[in-house]
Amino acid sequence: MSKTDVLIIGGGLIGCATALHLARAGASVRLVEAGDINAGASGQNAGSLHFQMERRFLENGAALADQAARIIALNRLAIDEWRGLEVDLGVDLHVSQKGGLMVAETPEQVALLEAKSRREISGGLATQLLDGDAARALCPALGPDVLAASYLADEGHADPRALTPAFAHAAAEAGAVISTRQHVLSITRRSPGGFDVAAKKGDEMETLQADQIFVAAGAWTPAVCALANLHIPLFPVALLMNATERTGPILPQLIQHVGRRLSMKQAYAGNVIIGGGWPSRLAQRPDGGFDLNARASIIPLSRSGNLRAAIDIVPQIGALNLIRSWTGVTTISADQLPIAGAVSRVPGFYVAAGGSAFTLGPTFARLIARVMGGERVEALDVLSPDRFNHLNSFMG
Amino acid sequence: MRIEQDVTRGAAIEISVDGIALAAFDGETIATAMLSQGMAMFRRDARGRPRGLFCNMGTCGECMVTLTAENRRVRACVTDAQNGMDIATDG
Amino acid sequence: MAEHFDLAIVGGGPAGQAAAIALQGLDLSIAVIDEQAQPGGQILRQPPAQFAVRLWLPGRAYDRLKAQTEHFGRLDRVSWLGRHTVIEIARDGAHFALLTENALGVRAITADRVLIAAGCQDLAVPLAGWTLPGVYTAGAIQAFVKSQQYVPGERIVLAGTHPLQLLIAAQIVAAGGTVAEVLFAQPISAMFRAVLTKPLVGLRGSGNMLAAAAALRILRRAGVPVSFGSALQRIEGESRVTHVILASGRRIACDTVGLNYGFVPQSLLPRMMGAKVRPAGAAGGFAAVHDEWMRSSLPGLYVAGETTGVAGAPASQAEGELAGVGIGLDAGWIDMAEAGRQTRRARSRHRHLQAFARLLDTVANPLPWFPVPEDDTIICRCEDVDYATLAAQSGGGSANAVKLITRCGMGPCQGRNCEPSLLRMLDDRGLTSDPGFTQRFPARPIPVSELADPG
Repeated sequence: MSKTDVLIIGGGLIGCATALHLARAGASVRLVEAGDINAGASGQNAGSLHFQMERRFLENGAALADQAARIIALNRLAIDEWRGLEVDLGVDLHVSQKGGLMVAETPEQVALLEAKSRREISGGLATQLLDGDAARALCPALGPDVLAASYLADEGHADPRALTPAFAHAAAEAGAVISTRQHVLSITRRSPGGFDVAAKKGDEMETLQADQIFVAAGAWTPAVCALANLHIPLFPVALLMNATERTGPILPQLIQHVGRRLSMKQAYAGNVIIGGGWPSRLAQRPDGGFDLNARASIIPLSRSGNLRAAIDIVPQIGALNLIRSWTGVTTISADQLPIAGAVSRVPGFYVAAGGSAFTLGPTFARLIARVMGGERVEALDVLSPDRFNHLNSFMG
Repeated sequence: MRIEQDVTRGAAIEISVDGIALAAFDGETIATAMLSQGMAMFRRDARGRPRGLFCNMGTCGECMVTLTAENRRVRACVTDAQNGMDIATDG
Repeated sequence: MAEHFDLAIVGGGPAGQAAAIALQGLDLSIAVIDEQAQPGGQILRQPPAQFAVRLWLPGRAYDRLKAQTEHFGRLDRVSWLGRHTVIEIARDGAHFALLTENALGVRAITADRVLIAAGCQDLAVPLAGWTLPGVYTAGAIQAFVKSQQYVPGERIVLAGTHPLQLLIAAQIVAAGGTVAEVLFAQPISAMFRAVLTKPLVGLRGSGNMLAAAAALRILRRAGVPVSFGSALQRIEGESRVTHVILASGRRIACDTVGLNYGFVPQSLLPRMMGAKVRPAGAAGGFAAVHDEWMRSSLPGLYVAGETTGVAGAPASQAEGELAGVGIGLDAGWIDMAEAGRQTRRARSRHRHLQAFARLLDTVANPLPWFPVPEDDTIICRCEDVDYATLAAQSGGGSANAVKLITRCGMGPCQGRNCEPSLLRMLDDRGLTSDPGFTQRFPARPIPVSELADPG
């Protein structure tokens, strides 16, 4: 039997970082992870630090774009968070904030960039519009088809392999107890408050008692919340990423595309990482539904489309050898914004998941820890799980 | 050392590796052509140490060289030398 | 449009050939895909078509394989795709989609059924200095001699635990090369003890024993020392190997080293596809799991030869025959009674050969004799990850977790060199069931432009 103030379910970036902040604030913290630390999307994503509004928010109408613009305030916090992370954790996270270019190839895309930039500037994000030549002056590897780009000096990339282990290590140093390969089997609410959680590691059962529960289990979040009889409307998405062999420095900036699915950067070791939201095919369970524990499969059209976009923007990528394609499984919510905060239907129950969580994860964690400590944090209002409260009218 | 006894090779060809002309024979791999002229280093590793071909069967990835005309990086051990080929190593 | 075949066989070695031969006369379209230009596999790695070699690879063991290769070459409706590298096999609705690559570009093939008979590779064994130019797998040297008619070095040391190095040394000597010494890490008593535990099995494998004895005679005549209980400790040199140092402190001058501690299955493709594999044995690696007709755990996918475990060319031939007949059976081309008749001899041969292979595994068992890497010895050659870095990952979890933290296995070879070494390190900590690195597309590096939509 373990009894702590907080039980965190999920050993990804958000879970480990929140464990650190809560432990530093004096809470007793237990974290359980069903697999290994950083084994999910936290360690499998492409490592972009992107603060410009994402293409996916711009292509589905003005209402969604308006809503997404509300996340800009969080992006500003995240920029500062990333600038301090390596010092705070005392670890080289290969953070590179040498700027990011979101490129356009057609006049329509240029118009989209302009509209996007207006929203960002009014939200306090200092994006700059550049014509093609100015963009190429910043990043000579860009090809001749780039007509314009919006530039944000704070963007860049970091090492997804390093960040979460660094948070986990720091959390453990601060007193959090972390166990891996331990599966949560049930979550029971106690009266008047708190939770009993049954967990299994190997053949060993353990009861974990906690006043607060925080679920940060990525794509598994809905399944874990279901153990508490709660609906969390997150849907798994499998995204393709590709890595080239190492090459000399060719891309200092993060490259994204306003009209096509593309993100590209050169990681510290010299490999170019190519992604941008191309779908892979989730594995299916024989009885229907997605099998998140089986490997997703690559869709050949995603691969060829992603690589074509990369070559169109940076032609010299074509001559590099591809050495690895992989799929990270993340989630998306009904309104595309992440879900992060208290589930007010079940006092003491908190959740954070829903994508963009490499760039924003460290910030989510810092803010969630404050919310769990009893503070009201306005910046998180836009992400509150309570915007889907109606789904839990008959749950809890 | 090319085995001479009982062996008839293909036509004499010439390739260029890092600007050095190498005599080779039709049918030889790029790796054989390089090694037989004493070019055992195919690249330097991250710490600057010399590295050579290892498995000679296409699995280890140690013998990648660049065909400069095609701008294509290939494994020297499974790529046949062609007359006039221009090759660059990472050494 | 992709070319369509009834059957695609990956690997034109003893197993792949035997499968194609077993299906002859059934009027099937068969593609046989191989990275090498000529059929034969590593065991019969043929000289280039442009070469003429008199008395190539003498010996009875080779004669049988040569006869099979000739037979294979006469088959109708078999498309030989030499110098084609398979980079992906994926289920695509009712059939399989294969992508192959070579210097000319990418080729797409579809097939109703696929047989993977991809052979084995030398176990990569890290020790101080093993990344110096001039250090090869023993198989690499042998392939140069067999196929390219080239001896890569003036003074060669062979070292390891596998008796095959005697044959390789003899082949080098016969080719006019110089072998400085053949070093067995284990004492000769350990090898004899292993044989004496299974004398009957040893007798059945007497062909191999005789070949080893003949090799020893050639080496003695040439004055090549063969030492037992002589473990390699370091390989030294500046721009290439100049000498090796043994655990005893003895130093041997040489310009080339061949490492021969055993072989591991090439099972990357079945693993990429999610077929079931098992730990292959003491030398490491994973072997594809199969039933009595060489069916893998995935419908329509068959496995044969050393992809299923390293047991030598004759065993691979037997498995190829079983796979070919099994494919014919599943497709309804051969009935059960006929299938049983056709394979009775192959099955019995296979059983005896497997028994001998297990005995050979014991004789050659490298586990007690691996060189001890030094702190800065590179384990992952692609990403330059050294021993100390991996040793520091105690409690790092699975091989995948260690890969994520250290980059071990993240390079172009996808861990084919370092995975067995890392798993041995994890094994020491009791993680025997680790499934190794997740194997990802592409099976071999391929230019981005080849995979991009033509636009």
